[in-house]
Amino acid sequence: MRNLLNFIARYNNVIIFLILEGIAFSLITSENSYHNTRFIKGIRGITAVIDKSVSRTTSYFRLRETEERLAKENIILRNMLGKIEKEENTLFFSLTDSVYKQKYIWSVAEVVNNSVNRQKNFFTLNKGYNQNLAADMAVISDDGVAGVIVGCSSNYSVAMSLLNIDFRLSARIKSNGYFGSLNWDGKDYKHAVLTEIPQHVNLIAGDTVETTGYSAVFPEGIMVGIISDIEKSGSDFYRISVLLKADFKKLNYVSVIANLQKAEQQNLEKQFQ
Amino acid sequence: MINRILRYSLIFVLLIILQLFLFSNIQFSGYVNPFVYVMFIMLLPFEIPSWLLLIISFLTGMVVDIFTGTPGMHAAATVMAGFSRPFVLRLIAPRDGYEASSEPSLLVYGFRWFFLYSLFIVFNHHFILFYVEVFRLADFFNTFLRVLLSTCFSVIFIMLLEFMRRGK
Repeated sequence: MRNLLNFIARYNNVIIFLILEGIAFSLITSENSYHNTRFIKGIRGITAVIDKSVSRTTSYFRLRETEERLAKENIILRNMLGKIEKEENTLFFSLTDSVYKQKYIWSVAEVVNNSVNRQKNFFTLNKGYNQNLAADMAVISDDGVAGVIVGCSSNYSVAMSLLNIDFRLSARIKSNGYFGSLNWDGKDYKHAVLTEIPQHVNLIAGDTVETTGYSAVFPEGIMVGIISDIEKSGSDFYRISVLLKADFKKLNYVSVIANLQKAEQQNLEKQFQ
Repeated sequence: MINRILRYSLIFVLLIILQLFLFSNIQFSGYVNPFVYVMFIMLLPFEIPSWLLLIISFLTGMVVDIFTGTPGMHAAATVMAGFSRPFVLRLIAPRDGYEASSEPSLLVYGFRWFFLYSLFIVFNHHFILFYVEVFRLADFFNTFLRVLLSTCFSVIFIMLLEFMRRGK
């Protein structure tokens, strides 16, 4: 017993060190995947208020730009609407026909907290499950892929940014349809890496990269970015550097997309796996 | 004593504010993220008991964690920095030892001493921080480069802040 006490007295700071590191690592391993959703929920309330007022102030500086973008988007939507209306006049179809069944619901949210300088970046949206957001919904900014929601509280959601080394996206090259896997290499917030495109495919810098819709999270054909650099690695596949369409440094208003038929698709796929 | 606690609280608040609003937004090509709040652990007085040093380090890390939303990450790194501080101090001790009741500062112990001191502490802190952040050994050398570059920048900023502190 005395020896034990002596031992503790002698190495007390090593013991405290190990205990504190133990606490830190248990926090890291248990909480980090869903970070702010559970552990700091209470404190999150305070910091979220600060974040909100900061983002409210900074959004004024981008007002002109936002306005321009909205105007452009409005024109595109009007054009689309025109097309649809014409078709509706000429075509006759039943509303219950599954061909015309709505598959995706879009909604808008504001980013209240964001980071680009870590290896695992997340951003926070000002809507939660009270506004019908849920995990696994796609987040899009400036018509470019931004991330996927990983957790919701009643009024806030946390989304995993595309700038997260754990993020994987099924993406294809628009001009020829070859698909591969897109992820971030943790270096530059403007570029991501597209792999698994075989080397016999002809590519040029400037080709558009878009989503495939295979994962049932992102709709098909959402732009990811354009090819900025093509590198032949040692294997049979290219290593393609993609200049991202979304500017993560000024993420402000984003669209959240829910897939209404996701459960149906996944249930069917599960039977054959 | 009370005076001292007040002064350290002020330094703490200033460093955390600087870190969160200024240095966390600095970024060159994803390789450089300076973390200067470690300076608080470096500035604590020499005679502080090591258990208190460790607990203060842990709390400092937790405060940064709460604001950046990464529970445990910064805490693990600051505890490491606090643990290594006595060893670093012994390693780079001047020939006639440290004066009683003085604090680690550039003015008393010179540029070279303070530079080495911040280099060792900041490297220890950043090493743990960046590897814990990535949590894998796949891009070992890439992460190591980030550790080295960020360490350089953090040390430069800490030296600048230390000069400003003395100028006041």
